Amino acid sequence: MNGERVWKWGAAVLAVMMLCALGCAKKQEVKSTEAAAAPAVQEKAAPGGIVSEPLMPQAPATGETQVAAAGVAVTQEKPSSFMDIHFDFDKSSIREDAKPVLSGVADHLKKNKGMRLLIEGHCDERGTSEYNMALGDRRAESARAYLASLGVPASAISTVSFGKEKPLDPGHNEAAWAKNRRDHFVVK
Amino acid sequence: MTRRLVGPLLLALAVVLTPEAGRAILYIDINAPGGKRMPVALPALVVVGADPSLSAAIPKVVSDDLRMTALFEVLSPQSYLEKILPAHFTGKPLSFPDWKMIGAEAVVIGKVEARGDQIAVEMRLYDSTLGNMMTGRRYTGPARSFRMIAHKFANEILYAFTGVRGIFDTEIAFTATPRGGRDKEIYIVGLDGQDVRKITDNRSFNLFPRWSPNGNLLAYTSFKTGVPAIYLRNLGDGSERLLVKFGNSKSPGSFAPGGDALYASVSVGGNSEIYRVRLNGSNAEKVVAGWGIQVSPSVSPDGKRIAFVSNKSGSPQVYIRDLAGGADKRVSHAGGYSTSPSWSPAGDRIAFTSQEGGKFSIYTVKADGSDQQLLASADGDCTDPSFSPDGRYVVYTFQKKGYSELKIISTDGRWGKSLFSGLSGVGSPAWSPRR
Repeated sequence: MNGERVWKWGAAVLAVMMLCALGCAKKQEVKSTEAAAAPAVQEKAAPGGIVSEPLMPQAPATGETQVAAAGVAVTQEKPSSFMDIHFDFDKSSIREDAKPVLSGVADHLKKNKGMRLLIEGHCDERGTSEYNMALGDRRAESARAYLASLGVPASAISTVSFGKEKPLDPGHNEAAWAKNRRDHFVVK
Repeated sequence: MTRRLVGPLLLALAVVLTPEAGRAILYIDINAPGGKRMPVALPALVVVGADPSLSAAIPKVVSDDLRMTALFEVLSPQSYLEKILPAHFTGKPLSFPDWKMIGAEAVVIGKVEARGDQIAVEMRLYDSTLGNMMTGRRYTGPARSFRMIAHKFANEILYAFTGVRGIFDTEIAFTATPRGGRDKEIYIVGLDGQDVRKITDNRSFNLFPRWSPNGNLLAYTSFKTGVPAIYLRNLGDGSERLLVKFGNSKSPGSFAPGGDALYASVSVGGNSEIYRVRLNGSNAEKVVAGWGIQVSPSVSPDGKRIAFVSNKSGSPQVYIRDLAGGADKRVSHAGGYSTSPSWSPAGDRIAFTSQEGGKFSIYTVKADGSDQQLLASADGDCTDPSFSPDGRYVVYTFQKKGYSELKIISTDGRWGKSLFSGLSGVGSPAWSPRR
């Protein structure tokens, strides 16, 4: 089994002997003193072998309550008095079936001039996260532009994209995906 | 509130026991494919006063690391003839014929001693034919750092045989949903998939972790204020600072090699473009402009080129741009939707994911667009590739319906494993640099 290996090891042995003959004159001593050793290596702790998560939500530090609540709220679906509008895969153009909804949104905003609208852009779970973040932005922006064309001032609207991070329907089929490719309208 | 890391891990003074003359010998050519595997024995460690389970736990980590290289065969302990004793660390030689008899060409022995709440671990690698110690080291650190100590010695073993530094002590950052939650948080895991620690804990969406070149900082996008912003987390002291606030969606891509800037994509007015953001906060310079979507910048090791995703052709594809100027070169020619470029730290190859035949698979391609190769494909989606610092491995996300896991594959396809599947929604893995 070691036939071909023998000559490789023989060559290695020969190489060692030659190196020793060339210059490894002094036998190196075992260094056990720390002073002579390599510089200290600082490493980061990697605690335990388990992922540990608190059973109770951790209370945020004082002064951060509002911030923490805003972050947590991000993961919840906000109620809306409007229907979502939907998009084709990898597209941000406004479909015909979205226009009646957008008309209704525009009417409501024009009647209530102090009202502010948040448009959330969403994607289905397919494709990669970064690209979908940007696509969600385009979907939200696309609706904002359409509402502007209906006379809603841009200043009344803000947008945010959640990419594919916040699907409405957790299913893994075309029906779920179609529901998740959406803009969601939240009156603030 | 974000959780502070549990103290620094001090591996004080890796002591070199014997500077060997043998480093000039190339035992194994790491680049020669199909070579026979080097048989290595990894007997149980001698344990003095410390947790007895370390006796087997440390060799297991070393053994798993060596197997990753597909260069070593770790012999079964059931075949070992000689028992390792404390005397073997104070001058008693190993009985090398016993090891050669079972086919072991190298033997790794070790001793763990308790030092208060720390452990001192002495590891030695012997060549059983020459009967000499090829390399040896002594490590000191907290008892819970035993895996990292084992990883570091596995690096030494690889170096002793191949002259190439190992990456076994590197880690992978990723995002996942904590049990029962709806949020996404950032975690870091070791290569053994065991030491997992949580980096963010703000219960919102925390996405796209990306390492700085020295491994001290993680950049990521967080929705913790309700809108997305890019933050930098200092992994040493746990502090976090805001880096990018302007625009809407934003995601960090990669740091410039000097560590002084971050390439990130930011959406403004519905168009996503790529910026270079100086870490000292002085400015953000647009480097890839365009209508539509430009995302996911990944910089070349020399810092002169970036790979990125653009949908300017009608669907997302991967392009390369020389930052000094010139036309973009499309390098993805796999499917109709290609994203997530990762530029190998070791050379001119880029990994990306592409959808073909209804599913996503991982491809690699040369930076000039030639030699596109399929790397990982499965019954499901393989996405988010990230290269190891030596360019020999890629970590990626495997997803099928609701299930997801992180997997690692060697770039020559000879070895692969599942890294982590202990949380739901795992994704966006990023391989740390050497530190």
